[in-house]
Amino acid sequence: MSLPRHLFTPSFRHQHLGRSLAAIVGIMVFIATFAVAAEAVLLTAGYLWGRNLETRLTVEIPAVGDEATLPQAERVRQALSILRAMPQVAQASPVSDGDVTRLLEPWFDEPQLLKALPLPTLIDIERKPGADLSARQVGDALKPAVSDARVNDHGTWTKDIWKLVRGLTILGGMTIALTALALVIAVNLICRTVIATERETISLLHLMGAENIDIARHFQLQATHIVAKAALAGFCAALAIISILLFCTRNIADLSTLQWGHWFGVAFAAALVPACATVIAAVAARFSVMRLIEDFP
Amino acid sequence: MLLSFKNVSLVYKPDHQVLDRVSFTLSDSGFYFLTGPSGAGKSSLLRLIYQAERPTSGDISVFGEALDAQKKAELRRKIGVVFQDFRLIPHLSAWENAALPLRLMGVEETYVKSHSRELLEWVGVGHRLDARPDELSGGEQQRIAIARAVVTKPKLLLADEPTGNVDESTALKLFHLFDELNKLGTAVILATHQSHLVDKFHKPALRLADGRLKRF
Repeated sequence: MSLPRHLFTPSFRHQHLGRSLAAIVGIMVFIATFAVAAEAVLLTAGYLWGRNLETRLTVEIPAVGDEATLPQAERVRQALSILRAMPQVAQASPVSDGDVTRLLEPWFDEPQLLKALPLPTLIDIERKPGADLSARQVGDALKPAVSDARVNDHGTWTKDIWKLVRGLTILGGMTIALTALALVIAVNLICRTVIATERETISLLHLMGAENIDIARHFQLQATHIVAKAALAGFCAALAIISILLFCTRNIADLSTLQWGHWFGVAFAAALVPACATVIAAVAARFSVMRLIEDFP
Repeated sequence: MLLSFKNVSLVYKPDHQVLDRVSFTLSDSGFYFLTGPSGAGKSSLLRLIYQAERPTSGDISVFGEALDAQKKAELRRKIGVVFQDFRLIPHLSAWENAALPLRLMGVEETYVKSHSRELLEWVGVGHRLDARPDELSGGEQQRIAIARAVVTKPKLLLADEPTGNVDESTALKLFHLFDELNKLGTAVILATHQSHLVDKFHKPALRLADGRLKRF
């Protein structure tokens, strides 16, 4: 069956119904692309950061005063030899003074003040893959040599980050689901209006022996044509805005952990949005029309 | 057997009986008039044949098979219908309107074009193929509607007051056109209240009055 392509076109044009549908779809795809891209970046970056941090612990050896029995360098050397002897430790290395200063710089207006402060020495520990090594075990091992050492397990606070990421993921998922639902409702409303206008044509097609599925399929094609173009426009607009935002915030949000492959994954996930929107709209149009015309004579 | 009505009644509301125990049989692919004054039930009877209505009681058979046993869409593909108000789709050209049933049947596009154009030539509007309905006279529009109704070569053509919106000389030409179609093998049931036109053709006529079959 190949009905004339423009069979229902005037009704879609009537009161700008087609344009309204295109505008609604464009905006929804724009929002959904944003949500999907943000979610994909968040999940990928969160995974990469978490994977990197979960295997690491940091030992902080406070700077000692003049009354100390051992100089700081000796305390650090003893701590390092204890840590490197532990079977669960893959690597233990001191964080350089330069790196410590760089970490603290944002918190101090006066660089001179930072130099005058007795800064602690930090030792970065990397666990062996699958090794069970807690901050408490490290602290206990260091106690005989460096009793005032403090140990931070990054895995503890990455759990909080993961909770946040999970929360944002659910929020993003809900945004996408609501957008899809709104799209279905919008398509249904437009179909209702067009069908009300085309009542006579549809009855005529029925009289000629058209089945509801024939009419629904034709309707679906027309709706899909409008939606696909609008979805693509919404997607391109979202992609342009996301690129501008990433460029403008490159100094605030450090996403350097994401490689080209990761960005390709994000772009692929975002590209699914217009495709899914088109499929959803097509299916919604088909089922809406089938339901709406089932009682036609 | 072409068509059979057995005690068919149609009631819209308890106090509005449209058809009252109508019975008749049309056995061959002839040309039949369905006459009677306005409101006699002519259109309702035709609507029952193409399943736009269901009878309140009684049995209808079309092409030798009970109406209930036939799939609506399949039955309608064997029946062409022409209306008083033409019912052409305003934004489609003359030949696109005429070709619509062929396209619904999924016929190859080259055949659709050639056959529908050929048919429009035959009904006398070959010079207006690309015109929209609002650019055509009533007679031309009805010719296109007739072409659309017979483009799939249906077994039966139902015409509901097809000459109601055209002048008398055009009406006569259209009646001759229906006669020609019948001679080509399509059974025709033509509902009209213009009895003076019916009298010019010597064809069997079913006469309805107040929902009852008065004469056959």
